[in-house]
Amino acid sequence: MSTGSAPNVPDSLVPAGNGVGIDCRSVTAGYLGSRVLHRISFRITEPSIYVVLGPNGAGKTTLFRTLAGILQPYEGEVQIGGEPIDRQSSRDRLHYLTHVDGLPDGLTVREALEFFARIEGAQPRDVDRVMDQLEIRDLSAKFPSQLSAGQRKRVSIARVFLRERSIYLLDEPTANLDPKVAREIRELILKLSREKIVLYSSHNLFEAREIGRYVLVIKSGQISRFDRIENVRGSRYVLGIRVLQPSPALASYDHEGEYYLRELSGPEEVPAVLRELMAQGVQIREAREMENPLEDLFT
Amino acid sequence: MSAPATGNVSRSLLSLTIRRASVTGRFFLVYGTAISVLLGVLLAHVSGTSFATSFPLFLPVFGVVGSMGGLLVFTSDRTKGVLEYLLAYGYSPRRLFANVLLTTLVLASIVVGIGVSVSLGVYFAEGHTVTSTLAIGVGIYAVPMALACAAFASTVGVYWTTLSSPRLGINSPVGLIPFIGILPALVTLFAIVAAGLSGPISDRTLLLILGSGMGLVAIFVIVLLVSMGRLLRRERLLSPA
Repeated sequence: MSTGSAPNVPDSLVPAGNGVGIDCRSVTAGYLGSRVLHRISFRITEPSIYVVLGPNGAGKTTLFRTLAGILQPYEGEVQIGGEPIDRQSSRDRLHYLTHVDGLPDGLTVREALEFFARIEGAQPRDVDRVMDQLEIRDLSAKFPSQLSAGQRKRVSIARVFLRERSIYLLDEPTANLDPKVAREIRELILKLSREKIVLYSSHNLFEAREIGRYVLVIKSGQISRFDRIENVRGSRYVLGIRVLQPSPALASYDHEGEYYLRELSGPEEVPAVLRELMAQGVQIREAREMENPLEDLFT
Repeated sequence: MSAPATGNVSRSLLSLTIRRASVTGRFFLVYGTAISVLLGVLLAHVSGTSFATSFPLFLPVFGVVGSMGGLLVFTSDRTKGVLEYLLAYGYSPRRLFANVLLTTLVLASIVVGIGVSVSLGVYFAEGHTVTSTLAIGVGIYAVPMALACAAFASTVGVYWTTLSSPRLGINSPVGLIPFIGILPALVTLFAIVAAGLSGPISDRTLLLILGSGMGLVAIFVIVLLVSMGRLLRRERLLSPA
């Protein structure tokens, strides 16, 4: 991975890749002449999950659409595996999951997946495989209008598992999903990413930290940071502690709901703090980080 | 972007779109077919002259109404991100539009085919014979004009849908397109009436007016189809959500 417009990426992050990577070269893109992305450059070759973060309107979806070849850059170029994205050979190397469900009206779930399978050159048996994988077999005879938002998302996600590709562009794949299903989807994506490049956009900072190895932050159409997740540290670390019974040992702590708060210089101080409290007889029910350090990337 | 898939996949996309349009636009399809059959049967039963002079005039209207499923599917696919998915897999806007256009023509052909064949069956069963008015009316005017109007409605509908904000209801493109789609037929009919004001019109003049009407529609559709790359940018096909 390397970047042209994000100078805060150390050279040590440039790994040996498998040759099928994304090369985004000084890309300016947008809609109907209105520019949303401004001279974005980065190169990704290492199979891993890259979480694309950014506030609403920052340009995440526009970036995905440009990388997928849907939007043609006004300036610059996108290459997949060393070839321009407008070549079908490049196109065949990636999957793109849109932020909307993309399920055709008038087709049942099974028919829709069979349709996607034909488009993507997958086999009919792959439809059965993904229906089992995503646990949607009981929905096979239903129409999209009969599905809940979560079920629709699940069916939508199923299509990216129909056929293996080298690169996956997943635009908010867990939006509108309940926590259990979202976790299952993240686990599937984690398995998927072992030998693949996965770009995964999300608003959820905790999810980003859970699933991503790298973070790519977009602000106002530009990459403001591209780094390993572990290198992203917040300006402060707030520990939240829930206890079974109030204790005088917590008198100096601030409150937020059921949590007693203590600001630390970093997560490495947490074990010592917890040991000290337990030594004073505090029965700890839960301890968690109250603020996600990735929040700082948004400000 | 180059073609994404084999001819089989393209045919499969077309056949699937036709099937979806038949399901999504079933009300329009059934309504257009049923009314054309009902009117044709009634007119054939009343008199051969009434059938030969009136039935061909109405057929384009039913063709346009019955083929609305194509535009419904296009509008829904745009809103729900299906077009975006297909663009990502290498389908060009022109190809997607051609898919809608062909679907519309197939649906219009179903309406016109059933309407004409059933009505003519009743017409002949009633003992009427083929007249030049009937031959010109059905063969030269009604059937080609129904298909031309359906193509016109589909083309205008696609442009209108993609160039405007999504709307629902009677004021949406889907709600208004049936009225716009029959314009070529109405304009042609007005031209025939205007030509007839100064006296009886010859078959040659009639054919000239009909041919011009359909020719203009064909040119209009082809020009819009060819200009699609310039006029309809890819981003117009993306879901506004």
